[in-house]
Amino acid sequence: MANPRALDKRRRSVRNIRKITRTMELIATARFKKAMDRAHAATAYTERMTQLVRDLAQSGAEVKHPLLAGRTETKNATLLVLTANRGLCGGYNGNVIRAAYERWTQLKAEVPKTTLEVSGKRGITGFSYRGQKPDERFTHFDDKPSFEEVEVIAARYLDAYAAGTLDRLDVAYMKFINVARQTPVVETLLPLGSLSVEAGPAKKGQAAEAQGQQTGKKGEVQYEFLPSAESILQEVVPASFKVKLFKCFLDAAVSEQVARMVAMKGATENAGELIKQLSMTYNRARQGRITGELLEVMGGVEALNK
Amino acid sequence: MADHAAPTTSGTLTCVVVTPEQTVLSESTDFVALPLFDGELGVAPKHSPMIGRLGYGELRLGRGSHAKRYYIDGGFVQVLNDVVTVLTGRAIEVSHLDAAVAREQLRTAQGRKANTDELLAIRDRIITQSRAQIRLAERGTATARH
Repeated sequence: MANPRALDKRRRSVRNIRKITRTMELIATARFKKAMDRAHAATAYTERMTQLVRDLAQSGAEVKHPLLAGRTETKNATLLVLTANRGLCGGYNGNVIRAAYERWTQLKAEVPKTTLEVSGKRGITGFSYRGQKPDERFTHFDDKPSFEEVEVIAARYLDAYAAGTLDRLDVAYMKFINVARQTPVVETLLPLGSLSVEAGPAKKGQAAEAQGQQTGKKGEVQYEFLPSAESILQEVVPASFKVKLFKCFLDAAVSEQVARMVAMKGATENAGELIKQLSMTYNRARQGRITGELLEVMGGVEALNK
Repeated sequence: MADHAAPTTSGTLTCVVVTPEQTVLSESTDFVALPLFDGELGVAPKHSPMIGRLGYGELRLGRGSHAKRYYIDGGFVQVLNDVVTVLTGRAIEVSHLDAAVAREQLRTAQGRKANTDELLAIRDRIITQSRAQIRLAERGTATARH
């Protein structure tokens, strides 16, 4: 039987760990709520952007832009991987890296020149471990990616695409579906497949009322374009790309906090169970020792009486 | 999240300013002045539906000295049914603008190399942006003193 004192010591250390994981869980919960609010606030923009694009398309403007059309030949490809700066968040980093690595090997086989860009310390070490040195690293994105910071990166991609030094951009990140589900995905952001930014279905009330007032006909509002539908479209396309990239960063931030929350909840529960088990063994060991001592005393008394 | 305000019957406009990060403001007013790409545009209630490209400059809500003023960093505007929706990268209240910072930005931009068309375009953009910010920030302090 184990030494009761050693058992007690172990139990104490597990208790300390449980305190830490509980605190981390609480912090992750708070951060998750904040990140979620930010992601939610961002949908207002994407929704309106989608509506704007729809109205433009309805007006008969031809949706044509170099960013929308794919290149016939892909010579330069970039893979951007979004991971966390910190660990202790379950399979979050591992899953993203695994998905990204798969695409990376595939890209390397297909495309002559590939560039790897990784955000987050975990991703950087993960890829270095697999023998891939990231060409570009970012570690300044935490749980609150700001649009300004993302815009810098987005602008660089747009410029590179326009200059012809980039033909394809893939982004690997953890997509946030709901609190219980996040999946690692690799999405191709350049060339932009379609203009619609993912968002919930736009509210129909406004459009319907507008139809009633502005024109008698259904589904048509005659817009005046300043300067012209085409020129606005020229501007909408890059803006929509920037927002899409920003949304990836936001999703990654939210998913990270969720993953950490879940992982730390599990850790806290496990620690509790371990404490229970250790307490039981400890009590049993202590009782065993007492019984042993009692038996010894009784044996001694018996021997004296004889 | 700010919801679409119901279109009002008469006399007021709803102005909604959204950036990718948040809804900056959602308010009703009687007049909105927008910085379009080629000059200012005033929108009063019952304006015809319009989609326009924005430049860098001042967005004003209301008239006269009570007007709320924002610096708008490009983007688009959609006017439909007395709702003015402004989609922009940044919207900063004029009182929060810093002329000194903008001036510094202008100086560094002017020192930038621009040997290709793209670089030239970037430099021009930054110069117009910072000039608009300086203009607004200085006017903001001037009116505050009165």
